[in-house]
Amino acid sequence: MNQSNNSKFVLALPKGRILDEAMPLVRAAGILPEPAFDDPKSRLLRFATNHPHIDIIRVRSFDVATFVAFGAAQIGICGNDVLMEFDYPELYAPLDLGIGGCRLSVAEPVDLAEIDDPRRWSHVRIATKYPEVTRRHFAARGVQAECIKLNGAMELAPSLGLCSRIVDLVSTGSTLKANGLKEVEVIAQVTSRLIVNRAALKTRPDEIGGWVERFRAACGE
Amino acid sequence: MNDDPTRALLPTGLRDLLPPDAGREADVVAQIMGHFLAQGYARVKPPLTEFESTLLDGAGAATAAQAFRVMDPLSQRMLGLRADMTPQVARIAASRLAGEPRPLRLSYSGEVLRVKGGHLRPERQFLQAGIELIGSDAASADAEVAVLVAEALAALNVPGVSVDLSLPTLVPALLADLGLTGEAAADLRAGLDHKDAARVASLAGTAAPLFTALLAATGPADRALAALAGLPLTAAAGAERDRLAEVVERVRRDAPDLTLTVDPVEYRGFEYHTGAAFTLFSRAGGCELGRGGRYRAGNEPATGATLFLDSILAILPPGLPERRVYVPVGTPRAWAQALRTQGWVTVAGLTPGTDVAAEAKRLNCGHLLAGDSLIEVR
Repeated sequence: MNQSNNSKFVLALPKGRILDEAMPLVRAAGILPEPAFDDPKSRLLRFATNHPHIDIIRVRSFDVATFVAFGAAQIGICGNDVLMEFDYPELYAPLDLGIGGCRLSVAEPVDLAEIDDPRRWSHVRIATKYPEVTRRHFAARGVQAECIKLNGAMELAPSLGLCSRIVDLVSTGSTLKANGLKEVEVIAQVTSRLIVNRAALKTRPDEIGGWVERFRAACGE
Repeated sequence: MNDDPTRALLPTGLRDLLPPDAGREADVVAQIMGHFLAQGYARVKPPLTEFESTLLDGAGAATAAQAFRVMDPLSQRMLGLRADMTPQVARIAASRLAGEPRPLRLSYSGEVLRVKGGHLRPERQFLQAGIELIGSDAASADAEVAVLVAEALAALNVPGVSVDLSLPTLVPALLADLGLTGEAAADLRAGLDHKDAARVASLAGTAAPLFTALLAATGPADRALAALAGLPLTAAAGAERDRLAEVVERVRRDAPDLTLTVDPVEYRGFEYHTGAAFTLFSRAGGCELGRGGRYRAGNEPATGATLFLDSILAILPPGLPERRVYVPVGTPRAWAQALRTQGWVTVAGLTPGTDVAAEAKRLNCGHLLAGDSLIEVR
């Protein structure tokens, strides 16, 4: 049995907004990254921790789910917006960390919202980072959603005539407001989850299960 | 000649196996089938395709969404290409081998074709090797099958084999008990499948404590069974749980070193299982190596297991390289034959007058037969 390979264990964390809220939980669970992790000038992508066999990688939120689903990382943190979009069968989400709270919503220009009648729609064109969730959401009420995949700055799309509606994460709503948009429908409430690779949990149940419990304790559940 | 490179393109999920992988796969299958045969599982060989109406009947109904269909110009009827071999073996047991004494132990190996590949395993065509134990309802039958396939993997030197036992009938029974159907049941099931505690708690309503406890009752077998024992289950669900405990105990006794986990909410794959089921994993790789469980073969109780050769080969260490010797043209046939009986692979030269040493090297031979002596090629 290849022990060195087996005992290695990678924690995948999302860059950006969620990271600041996630780090206190990671530290409370007992995983402390090397100093370079907090150095904004560091070019490292993979960081050592106080546990010799545990490394941390810092990647985009969508990539956290992919790394964990394919077993390249064993544990990760990402929002349930990402889990809904990918619906990877190899991912478990055993713990709601209660951080990164926001919602996935449909928004449209304020003046359109005043005259719009959603009951008459058969087809909508929507700019979004979440084409799968969007398609499923509208299909469930009999509307075909034509999705234009964007990776950021969705709020620009309606004003430049790319489409009239967007589906995006909303936390305070100030970005929407600044761009003349109005939130018209909430698709899902979003929080960050601790995610675990299925095969890792099956083959290393004590170790991986133990880390889930430590995160649970760190959340104060 | 057409040198258009797109001529080599294969459809998604299909591929060519080349040397040495194709040969290695054949060796590994032979080893697995020998293991099955030695424990009384006689081999059967159903055809690649059958009438849709029989292929997708009974246990086969669960494979309907994964089966390719073609029209048979002779009978003018629809044929289905097998997506799984278990329903075919069950059909054989219930028809042509109905007169054989029970329990009936059968083994098989063959290619299957599926409409869609999986997320980790995009393969749409792959080789299965499996066993079916038909006509016994005993827990010892479930344990025999699980131990046999786990041993077959261990004999191949698959590192760290583990068996994850599940009860695919438990969650449907609980949902029916709660009167949950349709979309609500499907949502809850999806939440359970992803072990999404938050989603399960929000969907399950008054049953949330029970489902949350079920989610917590997964992991190493002893701990999970102890947690399950404390749950207020209905009589039918309780019987399923006790049966699972009995299977675990028997597997433990026969294979004390095997890693055993229990997952009462796991529910995926072909949904023909009617009792204790299991999935095989290895610490070396993320893919499922095989699956098995209890089902109905016609009117008989049955249990069985299938190994997925593509997943197994992906994590096996490479086989020993073959010892190749170049035999120049004109060498007496008996000399090369003598080498072959010693385990050498002989590569015959076809034209005289070539530089035999250079030719041996070009054809990837480590040795050269010169006269009746072997020379190492540098």
